[in-house]
Amino acid sequence: MFRRSLTATLLIVVCGTVAFAGPNSADRVRAFAILPNWTGIWQSAAWPLNVSGRPPGGEAQLRELLQLIRQPPYNAEWAARYNIGMKNAAARAAQNATFKVCSRSFPALMEAPWMFEVVVLPEETLLIFENGQVRHLYTDGRAHPSSNDLWPTPLGDSIGHWEGDTLVVDTVARLSSEPLAPRAWVSMLSDRAHFTERLRLLDEDDVEDQLTIEDPIALAKPWLLTLNFKRVREMNRLLPYDCTENERNPVVDGKMIITTP
Amino acid sequence: MLFRARVSRASDLMEPTKLPKITIRRFLICIPALLLTSQAIAHHSGAMFDDRISTTLTGTVKGFQWTNPHCWIQVLVPGKETTVEWSIEMGSPSQLFKGGWRPTTIRVGEKITVVIHPMRDGTSGGLFVSATGADGTLIGTLAKR
Repeated sequence: MFRRSLTATLLIVVCGTVAFAGPNSADRVRAFAILPNWTGIWQSAAWPLNVSGRPPGGEAQLRELLQLIRQPPYNAEWAARYNIGMKNAAARAAQNATFKVCSRSFPALMEAPWMFEVVVLPEETLLIFENGQVRHLYTDGRAHPSSNDLWPTPLGDSIGHWEGDTLVVDTVARLSSEPLAPRAWVSMLSDRAHFTERLRLLDEDDVEDQLTIEDPIALAKPWLLTLNFKRVREMNRLLPYDCTENERNPVVDGKMIITTP
Repeated sequence: MLFRARVSRASDLMEPTKLPKITIRRFLICIPALLLTSQAIAHHSGAMFDDRISTTLTGTVKGFQWTNPHCWIQVLVPGKETTVEWSIEMGSPSQLFKGGWRPTTIRVGEKITVVIHPMRDGTSGGLFVSATGADGTLIGTLAKR
């Protein structure tokens, strides 16, 4: 009796698994076939890092290339707040001297130094960053969750659709307590910030992200930015990155130091 | 003698024996510079490194840490009285891999000459700029470009 039950259970499990792992439907295959192929490893064009872990042109080059550290087109009230923050040079100097960044909120993640893989599927496009962060850009026709099911997170909630070879992404529910980007310590947005991205492959080695930020609370007008990404041909796989394996840069008495192993 | 430390910057070239006077005016002028310079490191602020100065160290590799968030070269540099261990900070393994480095690119016991941007606080550490082996060839394919 027990043996017969076990056999029946095993048959159900095996048949169920086969059914679940069956071939893709013709519709899914067709949907996949018309998607652009962005397979590969990419990196923000603002971060041409060398083996020292810094851009060849140093901070000056970086500040020229980074978009999100520029002053947002704030309305009068938020501009006043921003200017007060910018006047506190001592606080900004202290932050610039001691900051460590191991993960980023959106949109700063799109201007991070970390390499990422792109996986384009009919249901979603995945941006998988080497530090472990993943952006899920759902393209299965879903809407953003209802207000009961939606709360602010560092990356927000992203849905998208394809317009030809351009991926149009709509992001809401970004955590408003996060500065806009490292170095932009006093650039904040409200919890009503709304982001639209138009991502497209310019050529084999270049992806462009036209980002529009709208915020009826903080901004006087939409903020248009263009972020660029370069294909990393030197890498044949994404290598893991984390900040904990061998952290040798503690901050002691307000200064970052190097510890000896 | 293996030890060789060379410091070069514009002010040294102009007035090699004269130490700069730090006045309040000069200090205030430096504040914006501190806000803007030497911070372009992927994981953390780079303000602790003085990228206006390049120091050359010659010694023996004590260790090569192929680790996140940074790789490190430990170099034993003999001085007049004692040998000093220097910690040379590099990028992450993925940045080194992209630049042509591998965990076996340098080995313990190897003679090496490393150019660094030193720590501002004078401790024996710095940010990697370039390295050459005992035969004078640059280490890592990126350095050869």
